[in-house]
Amino acid sequence: MLKRLVLLLLLVPVCTGSLARGTYQEPEDFLSQAFAGDVPEPGIIWLTGERKDAVKSLLGHRYPSLRIRYWKAGERSAWILDEIGKDQPITTGVIVNTGRLEQIKVLVFRESRGWEVRHPFFTEQFRQAQLNESRELDRNIDGISGATLSVRAMKKLAALALYLDAELRASDVSSSP
Amino acid sequence: MSRHHRRKQRFKLRSFYVWHRYMGVSAAVFTLVIAATGVLLNHTEDFQFDSKHVRSDWVLDWYGIKAPQDMRSFATGDRSITLMGEHLYLNRREIEGSHRQLVGAILKNDMFVVAVSDSILLLTLRGDLIDRLQRSDGIPAGILQIGTNAGGAVIVRTSLDHYQPDADFLHWSRRDNGSASVHWATPSPLNPGLKSALQHHFREEVLPVERVILDLHSGRFFGQLGPWIFDAAALLLILLSLSGTWIWLKRRR
Repeated sequence: MLKRLVLLLLLVPVCTGSLARGTYQEPEDFLSQAFAGDVPEPGIIWLTGERKDAVKSLLGHRYPSLRIRYWKAGERSAWILDEIGKDQPITTGVIVNTGRLEQIKVLVFRESRGWEVRHPFFTEQFRQAQLNESRELDRNIDGISGATLSVRAMKKLAALALYLDAELRASDVSSSP
Repeated sequence: MSRHHRRKQRFKLRSFYVWHRYMGVSAAVFTLVIAATGVLLNHTEDFQFDSKHVRSDWVLDWYGIKAPQDMRSFATGDRSITLMGEHLYLNRREIEGSHRQLVGAILKNDMFVVAVSDSILLLTLRGDLIDRLQRSDGIPAGILQIGTNAGGAVIVRTSLDHYQPDADFLHWSRRDNGSASVHWATPSPLNPGLKSALQHHFREEVLPVERVILDLHSGRFFGQLGPWIFDAAALLLILLSLSGTWIWLKRRR
């Protein structure tokens, strides 16, 4: 009995680590859900010049690619973005509506820890968030103990999506360098 | 207690003290290694030992780390795109991420289009990643070849058909008679200088410093016997603490 209990206790952290990783929703499904099945054609925003610097400032490092796809219908735009929590990228879907964050959702989580950020109790905090003049979220997002790096990544992605959405409305973003 | 008995006790104590000294000297080297590596391991993140890699040739040789001899390379323009292990290089510059099965690479305008197992990478001439297109982005599954047709358009071949992307690589359309006059990318041998440089670079990206410190700490760095030798050193330290305490108590009496 004692052996079984010890084995169970040893297996718990292993299992929670492997259970944390996974695809919670395919990006296509996220987009389909976001636009009620009528997904608009994708567009491209290039991260060049000042935009590249601004993104670097938001993330603390440059974005891994020079262009990002988006889907836009009316005042709503959807983004599939990646940011590394500790070692692996967290793929996140973000919807921005008239400059305010409508939804943020973890789609693919590859880290062994910090998966709690996928829960609505955390992501709901971002609802209606927007960027202030310093390009920071206009509200405090409560962290989750043990998921500090994942929380930080989610905050960065929320800010990035809001910034890119603002760029969409402000200028011509589709021209390549 | 007789004088003879006291002398005998003193002799025993002295003899014990000599053993204590020898044990101390023997354990000193191991203690230094264990203590120093222990301190370093406590600050792995501060010093980024988990992301820094060992570049010393003799350490890499000691670990038996060898670069793969087989590598697949495509000459595009005046550059080479090479896959070694899961590392992809544009000439000597490594492209971010891990990659598998290099299918082919072509130069399209001022951009390299590289087909790997499940993605198409768009790279600048400097090797910066413009975009990584995956199945969810609409690229055809199971790309077997990539090339350009007479008009300079990118064509990929799968087991079923031929496809051509639009200018932004966002949409792919099927091509009838797609293979006609297509110049397919074909692998080419890598020049020896570049091959040697890439193999050297590959070796330098394999062994994290943290791994070596851990192995030094546990004794595994010194081979199969290492952990046993460090166990013996730990046993010596235990004996030292016991003998030291015993000598101290005896001297107090």
